Amino acid sequence: MEILSVQNLNKHYPKFDLKNVSFSLEPGYIMGFIGRNGAGKTTTIKSIMRLVHPDSGTVAVLGKDFAAEEFACKQQIGLVLGEVSYYPTKKISVIADVTRRFYLEWDANAFEGYLKRFDLDLDKTVKELSGGMRVKFALALALSHNARLLILDEPTTGLDPVSRDDLLELFQELIENSERSIFFSTQITSDLDKCADYITYIKKGEIIASTSKDDLVNSYKIVKGTRAQLTETLLPQLIGCKKNDFGFTALLRTDNLPFAAGLEIAPSDLESIMIHIEKE
Amino acid sequence: MKALLYKEIKLAMHPTTYLFMAIGAMLMIPSYPYYVAFVYTCLGIFFIFLTARENKDIFFTASLPVRKSDVVKSRIFTVAIIELLQLAIGIPFAIIGIRINPNAAGNTVGIEANMAFFGLVLIMYSLFNAIYLPLFYKTAVKVGIPLIFAGIAVMIYVVAVELAVQMIPFLKTHLDSTDPAMAIYQFPILIAGMLIFALSLWLTYRKSAANFEKVDL
Repeated sequence: MEILSVQNLNKHYPKFDLKNVSFSLEPGYIMGFIGRNGAGKTTTIKSIMRLVHPDSGTVAVLGKDFAAEEFACKQQIGLVLGEVSYYPTKKISVIADVTRRFYLEWDANAFEGYLKRFDLDLDKTVKELSGGMRVKFALALALSHNARLLILDEPTTGLDPVSRDDLLELFQELIENSERSIFFSTQITSDLDKCADYITYIKKGEIIASTSKDDLVNSYKIVKGTRAQLTETLLPQLIGCKKNDFGFTALLRTDNLPFAAGLEIAPSDLESIMIHIEKE
Repeated sequence: MKALLYKEIKLAMHPTTYLFMAIGAMLMIPSYPYYVAFVYTCLGIFFIFLTARENKDIFFTASLPVRKSDVVKSRIFTVAIIELLQLAIGIPFAIIGIRINPNAAGNTVGIEANMAFFGLVLIMYSLFNAIYLPLFYKTAVKVGIPLIFAGIAVMIYVVAVELAVQMIPFLKTHLDSTDPAMAIYQFPILIAGMLIFALSLWLTYRKSAANFEKVDL
């Protein structure tokens, strides 16, 4: 059964529209959610959680309709919307004490474990924590109630490289027994290169790809060539062509490789795919 | 719901709200417009909303496993508890006040702190709640504008009720009195106040929850 299924979410704002957002996630996988600032990532996550009221569309968690069984669905979800920014003057022990009472399956041992792992001091207030530590505290709360689905908005932003790497390792551990899934948005595409199984890519409120990371990365190649090689027949095939004095760099669909005879061809990664697609 | 109320007390409650609740002691003051003591609580409730907003409480609460309507329900419940507690705290002070009041003419600047007065205060709270809460939950951000509207309504109500009690002879003799013989006239007003408070609280919750459902956080 799909752990998360999002069908045709629409939300109209005066200057922005979320259009027919659909994707789904099976248990045991990590899905990265990418897109530029303002592309609709947070709006999508908020619409899933019903913090924002979508105009139409359905969300199901473990087969349960979110709108009808909001309480049951939310119990299954560990949500992190950036760093903990609420109640900055309260000690995190107080916030944790308040939060744990909301979950039927709060796991005090797991929470203790995360506090140690993340080196969090319960006696500190939220504002005494650095940005990265606030993210870690939010994660510790989200991970400690046996959630089947983790929805994380920018969980690695503000973390140092060592912490990020540790977190990605933790994500892998969490999905190991194929019971959980993780859906997370990030701007740090290299994190997704390391750990994501699937990628959902949103551009201006529309999902332009939701597929396995390997398929996405393999469906594009980076091509480089000289100015002379930039012919009239080649140009329409290129995606986000960047020209400089010496030549050009662009993205090319793997299907269109025959056009690239004589060009320097390199494998693509998420960052280059994003950069070139957004240049269009 | 228990968890939400715990959250309200541990995180959202503003310290001055407790202080304002203790202001029921003002019912001991000889000759005083006693409504003032209870208007302070309206301010205390406003402080809760203000503190909660500054601390991004709604965002925190809405991300917990609760229905959006529960967020509203728990806050309205908290507000009602504060209002009723303040009234309860006021009762002994009102009784002591009447016993020790040196002024034989009673309260010279307003209604006596009797049963009718408590009923009228309950109606004042109903009015405050019915205006402040649905207006706040329309945006879940603006705490001040609803206070202006609710505050004006409360002021008009207090002035109108006080004028009526002082100017209409029957009300003056029957309601503005601490004579136990008049209790039979005052008791129905207390009961009416309780009923209005309960009914309006329910309607206020319904309207507030409906408004909040439409808000995008």
